[in-house]
Amino acid sequence: MEEPKAALAPTTPVGPKGKKPKKARRAHRPNPRIAQMKRTWYFLRRNTLAMVGIGILVIFIGIAVYALFQPIPWTQLTQQCSTNNVGPYPPQNGCICTYTPGTQDPGPGCYQTPLGSPSIIAPTFDFSHGTLGPLPLGSLTVAPTTPIFFDTYTGLLRGSDWSLGISVAIVGSGALIGLLVGAISGYFGGWVDEALMRIVDIFLSIPQILFVIIVIAVLTTIPFFQPFTLRIVLLIIGFVIVWWPLYARIVRSQVLVVREQKYVEAARASGAGGGRLVMRHIIPNSVYPIFVQMSLDVGTVPLLVGTLVYLGFPLFATIYFPEWGAIAALSVFGSTLNNAFLTCQLGTCVIPWWQFLFPGLALFLYAISVNFLADGLRDALDPRLRR
Amino acid sequence: MRMWIYIVRRLILVIPIVVGVMTITFALVSALPIQDRLIAAFGPPPRNAPGGYSPTVPCSELHINKTGDCPNPLYVHDTDKLGLNAPIFVQWGIYIANSFTFNWGYVYNDSGAARNFPGAIAGLPVATVLGEFLPYTLELAIFSLVIILIVAIPLGNLGAVYRNRPIDQASRVISFSGYALPAFLLGSFLLFAFVLAIGPTVNWIDPSCKSESWYQFFYASWPAQTCYPGSSWPSWLKNGQVSSPTGFPTVDALYHGQWWLALDTIIRMTLPALVIAYGTIAGLLRFVRNSMLEVMNLDFVRTARAKGVPENIVISRHAGRNSLNVTITVLGLTFAFFIGGFPVVETIFNLLGVGRIFVFAILSPYDYGLIFGSTLLFTYLVVFANIIVDVLYAYLDPRVRLG
Repeated sequence: MEEPKAALAPTTPVGPKGKKPKKARRAHRPNPRIAQMKRTWYFLRRNTLAMVGIGILVIFIGIAVYALFQPIPWTQLTQQCSTNNVGPYPPQNGCICTYTPGTQDPGPGCYQTPLGSPSIIAPTFDFSHGTLGPLPLGSLTVAPTTPIFFDTYTGLLRGSDWSLGISVAIVGSGALIGLLVGAISGYFGGWVDEALMRIVDIFLSIPQILFVIIVIAVLTTIPFFQPFTLRIVLLIIGFVIVWWPLYARIVRSQVLVVREQKYVEAARASGAGGGRLVMRHIIPNSVYPIFVQMSLDVGTVPLLVGTLVYLGFPLFATIYFPEWGAIAALSVFGSTLNNAFLTCQLGTCVIPWWQFLFPGLALFLYAISVNFLADGLRDALDPRLRR
Repeated sequence: MRMWIYIVRRLILVIPIVVGVMTITFALVSALPIQDRLIAAFGPPPRNAPGGYSPTVPCSELHINKTGDCPNPLYVHDTDKLGLNAPIFVQWGIYIANSFTFNWGYVYNDSGAARNFPGAIAGLPVATVLGEFLPYTLELAIFSLVIILIVAIPLGNLGAVYRNRPIDQASRVISFSGYALPAFLLGSFLLFAFVLAIGPTVNWIDPSCKSESWYQFFYASWPAQTCYPGSSWPSWLKNGQVSSPTGFPTVDALYHGQWWLALDTIIRMTLPALVIAYGTIAGLLRFVRNSMLEVMNLDFVRTARAKGVPENIVISRHAGRNSLNVTITVLGLTFAFFIGGFPVVETIFNLLGVGRIFVFAILSPYDYGLIFGSTLLFTYLVVFANIIVDVLYAYLDPRVRLG
């Protein structure tokens, strides 16, 4: 494999000619970490799948930033919906007003729905509805026989903020704790290592999703966690408690290698203490492998939140939580499917394909893009896999 | 002989892990209100007990000739039994002892589980309830493991042999999409697609049950009640939920001589097993492929080729056997993930196993006895699966048990 130019370039002295070449050379000596980052980027750039992943990710981040500035409610998308002329008009909070065939059209912004399914509206670009305008991704049913539903487009837009924010928060804090624990465990060794790693083993032998559920189920009994925002904090705490051990294990295995390196020995010989050794020499040189795991896990978080909602976990029972995983879970909820099958048996078959497709697609593209990125990173960081 | 010593040593090493898991659940249980803990531990309070589990009762209700509130004798007795008045390490000891002896508490009458579960589980011991439904999950797990091994090993090996060719790319696509498709989406898609594509009515599996729709077929662990002679469940199939004597559906159906019913349960399990397998295969494929790639570069493979051993035998016998070690190790590592998939898949297909029980337990209001009981059970499954994996590994690689 040819050495990349980007990595070589900074090693050649490029100081200004003539004036004090010695000092200039020192000023331009490449930071080895930056050199490694450049090398990684070089290999990543040649990996098509990884670039596709980064592209999708950049689009999603753009959507999330765009959504930040949209006047969409952050939590309650499903209050005060109206149907069949019942309820307040005009509809608010991202809700849609509907009426079934045979009843009177309440006014502009209302859509006609099929008979027997009061909350199913297919994607439409019909601008004639006035106030609400087009419904590009259709409606999403929260409960098929009740008029609780909202605009999928709005939900997905707000969901991009929640999904990306929550997954980054969980994975970031989990990795941080894991990094500290793993570094301490690997550096000090002995009984500290033994004790910490047994704790990690214990945490890892409880199935992840069950562990999250029992942690949150117990913590919700604490009255402090009643408000919605604190419930989201609780969700994050629950995931972080479950998540750090994996990182601790990865970091420890890496630290075991790094601490035997010559530069650590040199630092110790020149009088660096334990704290400085760990923080300045060992941790910065053993973080790279956890980037791979982090980028994998960032995609997993929305899937797990979706699983929680799918299992009917009553964390957000009363207030609807617009997160991609939660939206996707609602779209395939048992009652939604039941209703679709029922209408099929009655002969008036309405298969709400858009309800499954769009949230599922958002979830899938997000997860697969970070997977591509993780795969590319793994190849770029591990010289053995570059062959 | 050395193998037995290895197994015993491995079993002893498990005890600290199990105790550690119990300690974590104990820490969580300690955060619960005391009345909830009493309900989970001893079941609903007796009907004639005044005041239930409340700490104090009006003295008049206890027929004590005093005014005001008196301490509730039931509360005092039960908190004493759990050691709630003793120091925390005594409580911990009692909790661990109860956990090890399967004193996992009782299902509460008023919990979401007892109200919504299609069957009478209210007031029963948690361990009994879980034990009844465990065999179904085990059979599903074995079925999906078979699918995983049948698919992942050959596909991983092929990916290594035909590196960067279409078959390798295909296995890569499977691997990526398995990570990115959550079980609840994939399972629902499959259910939807099958029901809509195949048609409205089943009429080939069970000749006596022509009225069952495909949706009903894929949405239950057993055929509907109307499918049986006299439109009632046979005596060995309690309410269409648990079969006797073993609880394993296929085994029991064969035991009672109803081969079509055995076939029926296997076909019902195919879709759920595929969904579980798909997610696990994704994690496995890459490791199988990479370990095969490494093994194929080793000297003894070159020697085998040089000797003139046919290529397919070199791959299947020399390289394949040796890359199996890694496969088994990774399978052990992904087992917790594998087990975690059961609640979801059993919910999608409405199968009555322990995963489904867990899902009922987290319906509001929670049934803490069932929640913590099933968590312990799942942990046991993971831990013992890991022991089996280690033993298999030691069997395949003598260096492990002799070293």
